[in-house]
Amino acid sequence: MKSVFIVFNQASTERVEYMLDMLGIKGFTFFEQVQGRGTNGGEPRRGTHTWPEMNSAVITIVDDDKVSELLDSVRKLDMRNKEVGVRAFTWNVEQTV
Amino acid sequence: MAIYKSAIEKPVTTALIFVAVIVIGIFSFLRLPIDQFPEMDPPYITVMTTYPGASASEMETNVTKIMENALTSVDHLKHITSQSKDNISVVTLELEWGSNMDEAVNDVRSFVDMAANNLPDNCSKPVIFKLSTSSMPICQYSITADETYAGLDKILNDEVVPQLNHIDGIGNISLSGSPDRYVYVNIDQQKLDAYGLSLEQVGQVVTANNLNLSSGTVKMQQEQYQMQVRSEYLESSEIENLMVSMTPQGQQVFIRDIATVKDTIKDLSLDEKTNGREAVRLIIAKQTGANTVQVCRDVRKELALIQQQLPTDVKIEKIYDSSENIQNSINSLEESVLYALLFVVLVVLFFLGKWRATIIIGITIPIALIVAFIYLGVADSSINIISLCSLTIAIGMVVDDAIVVLENITRHVERGEDPHEASIYATNEVWVSVIATTLVLVAVFVPLTMLSGMAGIMFHELGWIVTVVCCTSTLVAISLTPMLCSKLLKAKKVHVDENGNLVEDDKDKKNFYERTVVRMLDKIDEAYAKSLGWCLSHKAITLIVLLGLFVASLTPVFMGKIGTDFMQQQDNGRLSVTVKLQRGTRIEETLKTARRLEARFVELVPEIQLINTSAGSNDDATIAALFSSTMNNKISMTIRLPKKWERERDIWTIAEILRQEMATYPEINEYQCNVSSGGPGGGGNTVDLEIYGYDFDKTSQLAEQCRQLISALPGARDVNISREDDRPDIKITVDKEKASRLGLSSATISTYLRNRVAGMACGYLKDDGSEYDIVVRLEEEDRNSISDVMDLSIPTATGKTVKLSEVATVGEYWAPPTIERKARQRIVTIKATPYNTTLGELAQAIQTEVVPQLDLPVGYSTHIGGNYETQQDTFSDMILLAALIILLVYIVMASQFESLMKPAIIMFTVPFALSGVIIALWLTGRSLDMIGALGLVLLVGIVVKNGIVLVDYINLMRERGYELNEAIQLSGRSRIRPVLMTAFTTVLGMVPMAVSSGEGAEMWQPLGIVVIGGLTVSTFLTLYIVPVLYGVMSKRGERDKQKKLREKFIFMNIRLKDKDNHE
Repeated sequence: MKSVFIVFNQASTERVEYMLDMLGIKGFTFFEQVQGRGTNGGEPRRGTHTWPEMNSAVITIVDDDKVSELLDSVRKLDMRNKEVGVRAFTWNVEQTV
Repeated sequence: MAIYKSAIEKPVTTALIFVAVIVIGIFSFLRLPIDQFPEMDPPYITVMTTYPGASASEMETNVTKIMENALTSVDHLKHITSQSKDNISVVTLELEWGSNMDEAVNDVRSFVDMAANNLPDNCSKPVIFKLSTSSMPICQYSITADETYAGLDKILNDEVVPQLNHIDGIGNISLSGSPDRYVYVNIDQQKLDAYGLSLEQVGQVVTANNLNLSSGTVKMQQEQYQMQVRSEYLESSEIENLMVSMTPQGQQVFIRDIATVKDTIKDLSLDEKTNGREAVRLIIAKQTGANTVQVCRDVRKELALIQQQLPTDVKIEKIYDSSENIQNSINSLEESVLYALLFVVLVVLFFLGKWRATIIIGITIPIALIVAFIYLGVADSSINIISLCSLTIAIGMVVDDAIVVLENITRHVERGEDPHEASIYATNEVWVSVIATTLVLVAVFVPLTMLSGMAGIMFHELGWIVTVVCCTSTLVAISLTPMLCSKLLKAKKVHVDENGNLVEDDKDKKNFYERTVVRMLDKIDEAYAKSLGWCLSHKAITLIVLLGLFVASLTPVFMGKIGTDFMQQQDNGRLSVTVKLQRGTRIEETLKTARRLEARFVELVPEIQLINTSAGSNDDATIAALFSSTMNNKISMTIRLPKKWERERDIWTIAEILRQEMATYPEINEYQCNVSSGGPGGGGNTVDLEIYGYDFDKTSQLAEQCRQLISALPGARDVNISREDDRPDIKITVDKEKASRLGLSSATISTYLRNRVAGMACGYLKDDGSEYDIVVRLEEEDRNSISDVMDLSIPTATGKTVKLSEVATVGEYWAPPTIERKARQRIVTIKATPYNTTLGELAQAIQTEVVPQLDLPVGYSTHIGGNYETQQDTFSDMILLAALIILLVYIVMASQFESLMKPAIIMFTVPFALSGVIIALWLTGRSLDMIGALGLVLLVGIVVKNGIVLVDYINLMRERGYELNEAIQLSGRSRIRPVLMTAFTTVLGMVPMAVSSGEGAEMWQPLGIVVIGGLTVSTFLTLYIVPVLYGVMSKRGERDKQKKLREKFIFMNIRLKDKDNHE
């Protein structure tokens, strides 16, 4: 089991939801309207006058074999337009209840 | 949920809400009446008091002064003027425009009641009269006839007037110059004396033989009959055969022996001619609140029907029809509105290059405009010049908000986002600033609704309409526009190869629009960025050059090239000419001059379609007579010319030709040739020099001196003195002792005189349901010289007769003129109309050249009044308004930027708008009038919008961490298109207004010219002055901010590393 944290421009919400549905990922936690700033370029998403855009984020815990497929889709989504931006990070899930 | 989100999520509801708005709007539009101006009550109240027997100066002291003193405390009083003539005192109150007249009348009534106790005993009760729109004629027709002229009165009264009375909303219909049928018994004085008879005896015989009287009932066996004496005259010829008396010799004396009976039309006292033919003028007014256009249209239709029933020689011709002017003005303005709409849409298409986007933007215009009609419907107003002008102003502005929203959504969509989500999030990013810019406009237009006076009435509606329209457009921009974007905009096409990888689009493939317009716009961006870069590195030079340009643009003002007017005169194809001959000229002589003038006018101005001339006075005072003061020595003409586009010479040239002609007639004392303008409150255009002072001779002399001096000024025409010349009267002074010895009194003598000269009313001749006066009087030869008057026979108490000269002295004497007062002081006014110059310049010339030459004794003063005074009042109102608007706009901007300095930078663009206005006025040769001044005030709001766009973006770039100059250049480059676009939409929206040449266009042209000039110049200069000033002013401030921040967190002891631009 791995945890995948996907953070994306809120304008991509529908696409991310579509992606999760299509990949058969049922469970996730959705954080609407989160702020963030990228390390390697890209516009900050702060919801201010200066940086008006906002992100949303999803954490989903998936089986190990699904991770690469998921990250692949995320990459394709990112390729659609770099400016809109989507990032995914994974880490191990030690224990669950 | 935010409004834009709900709108996008519920497209059907959103669309239908707007459909409903459109439907209600169209419904209101169809029911809106058409009028020239918003409803305004003329704020005049007149109090008329009669005091029989009092002379003008007695009237002044005993009545007028008392009334004036009482009435000065009426609320909202602006001016109090009065006229005191023999027997009559008229006090006129002019209140502030827009005051509640019902309240004012009540107020006046209570003051009059209070003052009534102090009036002399024989005074009549003062009559309060409110001037209302219903008492002003809306159209006049002339009715001419040849053979049937004598019977015209009957035709008109029995057929024409009753039919017209059926029309909805029609008010008073009066006839001027209609030939009344009269039966005159003209007695020969000598024959009367020879038979020892008096005129009154003849009169009594005529009256006594003309009656129907019931004389009781006769009862017979079964029946009962009413008995009646029926001996009314059936024909006028019966009068001739009446017997008056018997001579001592037993000879019968019949009326035919001493008099001639004439069944004819009334003696000439008022003469009406149209194109030289006998005519009757039909004057039509409407009821208060009725719609002028509607009533006039119905009158036209009805008259066309009536014409068919009339004898063939009777012709009905229009003298003027005020609805025509209104209709034409409205039509040409409506055309302007439609052109403005088209231009704005074209500008949007040009800049955006996409038809879908253009539709989305374009749709906001009709919706916003239609809401204006709903407002007009709710406010019970009308489609008028002001409301349509407001719409034209608004058209260019309503698209701005929608453009901002659409641009941001397009940017998101082009990044590859889904239109639906892009619409939500992109709107979210800009909606607050869209509302903020609208607030700036509201700050400009809402204060307009607070103006007072006549300008207040005119601009109240404008203020509300533009506010309503702009707010609607904002609402549309954050609801309908995102909704339409989510539906209509197409997401960028995605191409995927067989492996599922994205394929890049071919970037070199460009369509026609991208190859031409975009390339050109790119070049403009490039050039601008470059020049801006140069300016930023040479700030001092740039500022000095711009300042120099500003100062240079003011030179036309210092050179006196920009005049001021109250309102532009309009060429409505109608002239009114008034001619005054020597006082006391008899009507027949006046008519000769009138005929000569008519003939010459037609010769000089072949364009003339119709001349209606009236001369003389009508003794039955109708309401219409209030508006046309004709006297024996006065001729007034209304001249109708073709519409201005149907002739080559303009009306002012023609008026000047007529004036020059009239100047050559030695018998003409004074003449005036007015261009009838349909402006509010009469629409005259005069400078009035008022001379206050008590002594008549002194003020008359001063007035004459002024008249000569003013006439010598190059631009002054129609210079007239308000005070009438002294009138020659025949004064009869009764020797009371002699009179009483003969059993006569002054009262009986005056009655006898009246009977002999004016005639004794002796009942009526009834014919076909109408009654015609029978008048017994002396023959004309017996009463048309002073010696004739002295020779009049007066019956004494003993039955004998004496000559008037035996009991009274008859002399010629000059009756004092009407005493005019204003502000409780005697006044004489000299009026002058500007020609080829402006009102302001003429007033200035009078002030500087004429007034100093007057040798005013102590207690005498002068004042410049008239339209010039109104203009000055309005201009000072406007300046105050401009100050208020600047302050409000500053407040809105300061709160938007959270800075006190940045709005100040933007405010620097306002003076450049002024330069643009001056240049535009100078180039077009126009003067600044009330409407132009309004444009100037509006400019404050319009030009700062450009500045806001720029400063806002520079701020953003600075906050995103760009270097100052870089941020400025970057912003300039990215914002030049939106700035140009909004400026172009507003400017092109005004173009149809500025170039329109339809009827009444003179009035709103200045608005178009002022806004176009001001906005064009200020837009181009804003593009340099704002960035440069931003550069100059913000350097220090920004650096301080960094320092402060460091001081705040000094305890963290983080050493400054090589900080990159992105923090």
